Amino acid sequence: MAADTLPVLTGVVRDQRRSLALWSLALAAVSAMYIAFYPSIGESAMEEMIATMPEDLIIAMGYERIGSAAGYITSTVYGLLGPILLLVFAVSTGARLVAGEEEDGTLELELTSPVERRRVFVERLLALWLDVLLLVAVLTLVSYALVQAFDLDVGFTFLLAGSAGMYLMVIGMGTIALGIGAVTGRRAVGLGVAAALAVLAFILDAIGPVVDVGWMTAISPFSWYLENDPLTNGFDVRGLLLLAIVPVVFAAAGLIRFDRRDLMV
Amino acid sequence: MTDVVIRTEGLVKDYGSVRALNGVDLQIERGEVFGFLGPNGAGKSTTIRVLLDLLRPTAGRAEVFGVAPVDGGAELRRRIGYLPGELAMRGRQTAGDLLQHLASLRGGLGSERIVPLAERFGLDLDRPIRGLSKGNKQKVGVVQAFMHAPELLILDEPSSGLDPLLQREFLDLVLEARDRGATVFMSSHVLSEIEDVAGRVAIIRAGEIVDLDDVRTLRHRAGQSVELEFADHIDVEAFRHVPGVYDPEVEGTTLTCLLRGEPDALLKVVANHRVIRWAAQDRELEDLFLDFYRMPVEDQAVKEVATDGR
Repeated sequence: MAADTLPVLTGVVRDQRRSLALWSLALAAVSAMYIAFYPSIGESAMEEMIATMPEDLIIAMGYERIGSAAGYITSTVYGLLGPILLLVFAVSTGARLVAGEEEDGTLELELTSPVERRRVFVERLLALWLDVLLLVAVLTLVSYALVQAFDLDVGFTFLLAGSAGMYLMVIGMGTIALGIGAVTGRRAVGLGVAAALAVLAFILDAIGPVVDVGWMTAISPFSWYLENDPLTNGFDVRGLLLLAIVPVVFAAAGLIRFDRRDLMV
Repeated sequence: MTDVVIRTEGLVKDYGSVRALNGVDLQIERGEVFGFLGPNGAGKSTTIRVLLDLLRPTAGRAEVFGVAPVDGGAELRRRIGYLPGELAMRGRQTAGDLLQHLASLRGGLGSERIVPLAERFGLDLDRPIRGLSKGNKQKVGVVQAFMHAPELLILDEPSSGLDPLLQREFLDLVLEARDRGATVFMSSHVLSEIEDVAGRVAIIRAGEIVDLDDVRTLRHRAGQSVELEFADHIDVEAFRHVPGVYDPEVEGTTLTCLLRGEPDALLKVVANHRVIRWAAQDRELEDLFLDFYRMPVEDQAVKEVATDGR
């Protein structure tokens, strides 16, 4: 990558090499494990197991779709462990990349270098988006490799549709952490707000269908991502557009405030 | 082109309800080595951070090369080398990698000087930052501030952590920068750190410039603590009216006093007695600050001496 054109981004990514490699490994292992588990149980055993569960729990966890391969992968890798791991990464990295490094002072030499403040913000945001892109790509490719290996009935396009939604949802939360951090200059605030919103989105998506209240899933980014079962139904343009609004709004808010306020490096 | 490199006029900076700077006026000219002295928390770093556009003034003006830092932006910072007071660096990368990265933020400018400067200060570029001692970290800071040969050097407590030998090397670096026409603005809380290289010195206290002078005048004003032990009892009255002697006190056979200016008059009075032991020590800057905030009578004395010293 061109160190000359995006020096800040290059510096951040170089710094993360090791941690990105470990996260990639973790995501690959978790995806592979869960998908490899599916053929060994078989569809009928899965359905038997689900039949013993309370109905509300099945709806809340989205297990009603678990009978098919696409439904199983949605409920496990795409609906639970993938997003959780990615959100932990994106929210903590987002909070650290601007507010965290401002608080511990490591941003000082960059901010006093001949790089515009706005550019520091934008390149750091891009670094976050690129990190998540890499991790989602790993998850997608490993999932597809396993789907192929076990001859499961999930097309690559459908995986991509799910991955696109997951990517936008995760960078949305990561950008909230980075943006709120950039507005306040406090890592803990960015981290706390983004983590709380992510948990809230997950809870609304889970209990919305159980209590049958429409607004809950209407405002939950988690529902925008999975409500239309992208692994079964393909790209959901409306959901993806809603998901794309979140990172754009919080990036803009963070950028505007970061450019104007005192930086307490 | 203006010959004033740094100008602040009535610079005020509030952090919430706390006033950190209360009307700072400074004017630093091209080619000057300017010392910025004050105790910790007096507003040195705040002033410097305004100049680098990390902080925005609450009131008043700051200009670097004739432009407000906020308007000058990245182009203005291209002309500045900055050594932060508290240097924080991410730990896993090596010192060399970090310095290369900082050079790349300047479009590669100065990267060819990393190795010679590191050698000069005995800095091992292959070691990770987090394994470095405070002194070695400070060397990294010095190298990155000087490597691109900037027109203006802003150095916040530059010699903290450097051992005396390297402090000397560092001051040589400052003088070389001055000789090629650069302007140097360096802060410290200890006068002795900068008195060898600085021309003029401003003293800041509680967000206000309380004094601005050339370094010799300041040193003269600070004076020395003198302690003399005599063979016999002596009378304190003998020293009350000796020129340059302040606050004489006698305890047993020992005289302590503050001496400002030439020691000649004191020595001639002392010569009438037998002296067993003597000590004269340059006073710390903190003592000088106390002088500024003493009783009005004492203030008068300080002013008189100041006029003498010029």
